[in-house]
Amino acid sequence: MELLSRLNSPVLYLICGGIILFVAVICIVFAVRAYRMGKAMGIDVSKMKRVITASATFAVLPSIGILLGVIALSGSLGTPWPWLRLSVIGALHYETQVAEAASEAVGIGGLSIANMTPEAFTTIALLMSFCIMWGMVLVIFNGKAYSKRLQNPVSDKKEESGGKKKKPGLAGFGDTAMTAMFIGLVSAYIASYIGQIVSGDGLFTFTGSWLPLAVAVVAALAMAVFIRIKETKKADWIDSFSVAGSMLIAMTAAIFLGRLAG
Amino acid sequence: MANSENTNLTVREGYDRYQNNTHRLGRIFTTIVLLLLLAAPFVIGLYLNTVPNLSAALKAFLGVGIVYLVSGIVEYLIYVPMLGAGGSYLAFITGNLINMKIPCAINARDIVGVKSGTPENEIISTLSIATSSLVTIVVLALGVILMIPLQPVLQSPALQPAFENVVPALFGAMACKYYRSDKTVALIVLSFMTLLFVFVPSLIGSTSMMVIPSGALAIGLSYLSFRKKAKAAEEGGNA
Repeated sequence: MELLSRLNSPVLYLICGGIILFVAVICIVFAVRAYRMGKAMGIDVSKMKRVITASATFAVLPSIGILLGVIALSGSLGTPWPWLRLSVIGALHYETQVAEAASEAVGIGGLSIANMTPEAFTTIALLMSFCIMWGMVLVIFNGKAYSKRLQNPVSDKKEESGGKKKKPGLAGFGDTAMTAMFIGLVSAYIASYIGQIVSGDGLFTFTGSWLPLAVAVVAALAMAVFIRIKETKKADWIDSFSVAGSMLIAMTAAIFLGRLAG
Repeated sequence: MANSENTNLTVREGYDRYQNNTHRLGRIFTTIVLLLLLAAPFVIGLYLNTVPNLSAALKAFLGVGIVYLVSGIVEYLIYVPMLGAGGSYLAFITGNLINMKIPCAINARDIVGVKSGTPENEIISTLSIATSSLVTIVVLALGVILMIPLQPVLQSPALQPAFENVVPALFGAMACKYYRSDKTVALIVLSFMTLLFVFVPSLIGSTSMMVIPSGALAIGLSYLSFRKKAKAAEEGGNA
């Protein structure tokens, strides 16, 4: 608990808050430049104002969902670091998975404040920053060239000039591959919870902790309810809360299930 | 007539200059943010009197980080055309792409009625992503300020089982979300991994490394299914 107090200290708020403030300034700079250029190009000012208002209102609900993510992570990583990660670059599912993997690698077993050490925390923090930087790296080194290529696509020109029709291959597989990757990732962890129950204390002893699997099942059921509401009530807005909401419901259940598990 | 052409030329020149500056500023700002994010754990380490364990970080990266390397490349290739230059720099800095930035930019584009790849889309997309990012920053900052007095409650022992089960809670929710998209692949991969962990329980402590064979199996099975569907569609089209 002493470590948690240090992870919530003013120094960490200052470090994380400073970076967030810098990102806010970047957003303002880009917005002002875009607004001025839009005016110079003759885009209707009222349309641009509508875009700003619509985007601001659109962002409120997902932002509250993201805030729930900060609350979910604050018990194991303190508040300032999840605040930074989820304000800048991150996403809840990514941060939690990477933090868990780093916890295992650093030898504290899993993401939990009970076993957390300063070294484990800084390693987790570094990995969270490192693993998700690829979009930023690509946009730094290739953003300009890629944007120019998109404005003047070579493939379109080839097609216009009678280029050969492409054979169906990996094209279009990107989305499916990403979903498959997440299925693989989730399956590895869920299977490990089952393995823990069955053979965690020795092959086929069935005495391992069932709490992680029970929590996962509650989260899945909560998610199923969110999806059902979304589909039957056409409530697309619920997507902003479904993951964080399911997690918080399952985490609340963990408090009561934990008493049963002893 | 000549006057109008001159005006159009000036606007186009202005837009080209704007685009070049967007790339210049975007690269500078993104590089600074990237360095700040990578430096922060070391600075925090100074305060906590420790340094990150680099070999453990590498081990974890080889497990779960590879997944995000691939998804990072795919996201970059897919989303840059939608977001334009300015929007892309901002979106990759501020994150939350799928759950907020992309739908927000598309919503803004639909409101104004502009098409991807046009200068108008570049402006609208940048305005939309900058605004939504600022709203997130403000909401989170207000939320965090409100959370400060709640710290003793959040740290109470009674709530610890909740925070110790963040990860199972996440994977349960995600399982429901992703398993629906391909139940067969999910069932095969989950069964295979369960048997593996049951018969080789020593692997439970290295679950993040086991994401590699699990992910490879899921992608392989999905690819076979994808090819089968594509072939069936092709044959259907030919008939």
